[in-house]
Amino acid sequence: MADGAVFVVDHVVTRPGCARTFVDTYLAEYAPGARDRGMTLRDVLVSPPIWFDDQPNTVTITWSVPSPQAWWEMTWKGRPDSTLGPWWDTIGELVQERTRSVAAAADDVDRLCDV
Amino acid sequence: MYSVIRLLDVVEGDRARVLAVARAGAAATAARHQLVQPTLPGVRNGGDILVHLRFDSESQWRSVETDFAATLTDPAITRVNGACYSGDAARSGVHAGTVYRSLLLRVLPDTEAHVVARFEDELRLMPRYVNTITAWQLSRVEEPVGTSEWTHVFEQEFTDVDGLMGPYLMHPIHWAVIDRWFDPECPDVIVRDRVCHSFCRCDTTVLS
Repeated sequence: MADGAVFVVDHVVTRPGCARTFVDTYLAEYAPGARDRGMTLRDVLVSPPIWFDDQPNTVTITWSVPSPQAWWEMTWKGRPDSTLGPWWDTIGELVQERTRSVAAAADDVDRLCDV
Repeated sequence: MYSVIRLLDVVEGDRARVLAVARAGAAATAARHQLVQPTLPGVRNGGDILVHLRFDSESQWRSVETDFAATLTDPAITRVNGACYSGDAARSGVHAGTVYRSLLLRVLPDTEAHVVARFEDELRLMPRYVNTITAWQLSRVEEPVGTSEWTHVFEQEFTDVDGLMGPYLMHPIHWAVIDRWFDPECPDVIVRDRVCHSFCRCDTTVLS
C-alpha cells in the first residue's frame, strides 16, 4: 500500500490590512478542529513578512497527515460537519482570494502513485 | 445505449423477497444488460439493492417503463434514488470486472459550463491512473429520481472490491485532484449535496 505524508496547503491572499487578523482568527477558530481531525500544523508563512496596513499579504498555511488513509479519515470526520464549509464564508471579509491544494514530497510521489 | 439505475432502500426483513421481485421485473424488460444485486458493505447512501438496466435505445425503456415502475411500488421499498441517461462505456482493461459501482451526484445548478466541463474532464482522467477500473462511463443524467436532482452518473467496473476500496481511493488522482470538487472547504466545490455511492457484485459485464 502506498504511503507517505500528505500535505494540505491553504494559500490565502488577504484583503489589505487584514493578514494579522486572518492569521489570528484562523489559528483560534479553525486550527483546533483541524487538529481534532488528525491534521498537524507545519507552517504559517506570511509574505511579505510585514503586517501591511494597506496592502494584501499572502498567507500560506501547511498541514500534514501521515498517509492517504489518514487524509481520508480526516475528510470523513470533517465532511459531515455542516459548519466547516460555512466557516470560510464567515471570514470572507478578510480574504481576497484563496486556494486549497493537496501535495506530497517529491520523493514520495512514485510510491503514492503505486497503488 | 440507454441506461436506468435504481438504488432501493428496503426494509431489512423483506430484502430477499424484494430482490426476487426486482429481478423478475428486470427480466421482463428484456434489457440487453440486467444487474439486480444486493449492495455490498461500504456503500454510502447507496441503497440495499442496486438495479441497473441497459437498453439499446430509450424507446425500448419507455415501452416497459410503466410495468417496471410498478414493481418498485412494493411497500417494503422505502426510498428510491436513480437516474436515466444515455451514453457508451469505455473499457480500460482486458478482463471483466467483478464489482460494479455507481456514483450519483448533483452539480450545483449555477455552475458555469466551462467549470462543469473541467470537472468532467478530470473525472475522465481517473481510469487512466486507477488500473483496477476495467470499464467506465461518465454520463449526464436526463431523468433524475429520488432525493436530489442528480446531474451526473459516474460508473465503473472494478477488478474486485479491493480495487475499489484500495487503489481507487488511495491514488492521488482521487484525493489530490478530484476530491476538491466535493470538498466544502475548497473554493472549487461544485458538489454539495450528499452523493449516492453504491456498488455490488457483478458476474457478467455490465458496461459494454
